[in-house]
Amino acid sequence: MGMSYRRYLHGERVYGCSKCKTHLATIHSMISRAFNGQHGRAYLFDVVVNVIEGEPCDRPMTTGNHTVRDIYCIKCGTTLGWKYDKAYEANQKYKEGKFILERNLLVDVQ
Amino acid sequence: MRFTELEESSPTNSSNPAVAGPSSKSHSTSNGRTVANGNGFVSPFTNGNGVVGSSGAGTSGSNGVVMERHEKSALSRVNLPGHLLYEDSNVDREEFVRLLLQSLRDVGYIESAATLEAESGFSMEEPQVRRFREYILSGMWSKAEDSLSRLGIVNEDNSWDAKFLINKQKYLELLEARKTAAALHVLRTELALSSPEPAQLHVLASLLMCTEPEDVRQRAGWDGVSGQSRQQLLLDLHRFIPPSVMIPQRRFLTLLQQARQDQLRRCIYHNTPLEATPFSLLSDHECNKDGFPGVTTTVLSVHTDEVWNVEWSHDGAYLASGSADRTAIIWNMGSDRRKWEVHLILGDHPFPVHSIAWSSDDSMLLTGAEHFIKLWDAKTGSCIRTMDEHTETVTALSWLPDGSGFISGALDRKIIQWNAEGRKKLSWGLTDIRVTDLAVTPDLSRVVTIGMHVPTSSESSSLRGIRNSGSSGDGTTNPSGNTSSMNGITPTKNRFIIYRLSTRQVESSIKLDGDLTSVKVSQDSQYALINHSPDEIQLWDLRLGRLARKFTGQRQGRHIIRSCFGGIDGSFVASGSEDGNVYVWHRDTGSLLEVLSGHGEGSVNSVAWNPANERMFASCSDDKSIRIWEAPTPEMVLDMSGHTDYSVSYSAKGKGKTRQMDGEVENAGMASPSTRL
Repeated sequence: MGMSYRRYLHGERVYGCSKCKTHLATIHSMISRAFNGQHGRAYLFDVVVNVIEGEPCDRPMTTGNHTVRDIYCIKCGTTLGWKYDKAYEANQKYKEGKFILERNLLVDVQ
Repeated sequence: MRFTELEESSPTNSSNPAVAGPSSKSHSTSNGRTVANGNGFVSPFTNGNGVVGSSGAGTSGSNGVVMERHEKSALSRVNLPGHLLYEDSNVDREEFVRLLLQSLRDVGYIESAATLEAESGFSMEEPQVRRFREYILSGMWSKAEDSLSRLGIVNEDNSWDAKFLINKQKYLELLEARKTAAALHVLRTELALSSPEPAQLHVLASLLMCTEPEDVRQRAGWDGVSGQSRQQLLLDLHRFIPPSVMIPQRRFLTLLQQARQDQLRRCIYHNTPLEATPFSLLSDHECNKDGFPGVTTTVLSVHTDEVWNVEWSHDGAYLASGSADRTAIIWNMGSDRRKWEVHLILGDHPFPVHSIAWSSDDSMLLTGAEHFIKLWDAKTGSCIRTMDEHTETVTALSWLPDGSGFISGALDRKIIQWNAEGRKKLSWGLTDIRVTDLAVTPDLSRVVTIGMHVPTSSESSSLRGIRNSGSSGDGTTNPSGNTSSMNGITPTKNRFIIYRLSTRQVESSIKLDGDLTSVKVSQDSQYALINHSPDEIQLWDLRLGRLARKFTGQRQGRHIIRSCFGGIDGSFVASGSEDGNVYVWHRDTGSLLEVLSGHGEGSVNSVAWNPANERMFASCSDDKSIRIWEAPTPEMVLDMSGHTDYSVSYSAKGKGKTRQMDGEVENAGMASPSTRL
């Protein structure tokens, strides 16, 4: 709805989409490096920008069942990772509302 | 009462037809303005029109015998109390009468003027002023210079300046007549003495090299003895002579014109050219809304996704639109203004089209889609060139008004100058902002840019502290990545930067809060109109670098909303809005004139006023349509008299027109694409 420009981030390290370099997240909002995605190592971020969120679905993971949405680059449409809507295990609740970006799909921009 | 016999009794003035009628009964006027010729006689004066070269009053020593004829006049002076025109006015009666006298004489009511002088006891001006005028207009320079001292010039500098102007005219006239030796003499003896600055003298001296009179006129910017130069000299001399001594020419008319301009400025719906605007002294000017384009006459619905931008060709016959459907469309208005049709669909864009710009001769169109710029032949629709020099979204495309090329601005912080064939001429290097829009002033002096300020590295690194103090927050999600100083995402700072085009140097850089989405420059190059979220449009005076006015009412938060100047003399400001309406204000007062509804759900993204028709503009919306707004024709007003809904859509499908009284009806498919690329 309506036209808007993509957001641009500032900081010591800015991660972007490896295909089109759209800004996605900064190192300051990174929570953990200890995640794994479909393409290997993945990072958990507090805030990610310039992504479109897909439909929610339940997905079993090594840490239990989660409701997640895939996230796509707003410019080129590449699938970049997912967002946690809900964690069923109490000790995994901290992930809710947070984002996973796969390291292999990221590049340093700026 | 007739005065012709009195005219005959004025023997010395018979050569001057403009001087007629009785002289004043009073020899020395009651207000102490005694006449300077020393013999107690007041002579009638003229404003100098039609008396060039008159020698009747030229011999100042012989005034004693002029116009000894008031004995027969039965008119006696009317003595009035006070000095005001009306008791409760602040108009000085003497000034008023003097302006009347000037006007009467200008139009040729010589006897009435004389009668008024007799009755009021006021004279328009003193005889030496009239003579001074005659000396100037007939080129009697030394006499003119001599009489300067009797014109009440207050300080010595002014006196020198006036002498300089007179001698300059004398010098130029000598040069024009090829009397170089005499001119040189004037230069050495008179101009050298009175010149305020050596530089001016040098320029004048260089004219000695001219061999042809035409050269002299051209290089001096002066129209010669047979032109208006002596009249112009008189106008210039007014600067040094007190207006109470020598009334500026056509002073009454000047005041009336000021009244008219003031009435026009205050007429908020005014939208007719000056020459077509009736003006009466008997009542104030006020327009009704008939000339205001407040009615939708056409809905263009061919785009298959949101329409983000619209731009008129300079001749006003074509409209180009850019859409999220990855096409731009060029629409043709048709000759009778009702048969809108698709002229060209410019497909082949890899991304949505958000910027459009017509070349100055309307032969080419630029489109911007993400970081690509495409240059199109606007007649055939062939793509002349694709430019991918920018690395981020190209937000602004602006042709240079002289047609020599165009400028692009982008979120990659680059401003690039291109030639008319789309070849890069010059990149400005990294600017301080990610440019969100840019405009070149019509006088080619400035480039006005707006955008998101990029923090320096020291500003960026200080963010770490913010993150550490705020990261243990309540864990609320921030899915849209909204402005937040936590998490390493800083609120965007925005700036409005004015560059000199010739030097590419920053003239001023102004910090503004809120996102800046659109900038337009007024036709006179003086103002910039900037859309600003939340919900505000700002008018900046570019010469003063100051905010002049704000326009409020429209909704703007997250989207790129654009505005424009429009109407006669750009006296309206129109903008899109996220509430789906079009907003129109009166530029000089800031009053909100109209909130025009009609578009469907979503934002009205942009508006553009037809540059060739002050009574037409276009708006485009998320509802995939473009609306053409016009002033209602008399026929429409008549037809609509029984209806309350003025939102009429015209369907212009093929031949003939189908009028649909329901404003909600969209004419999908009304225009059939003639070319698809």
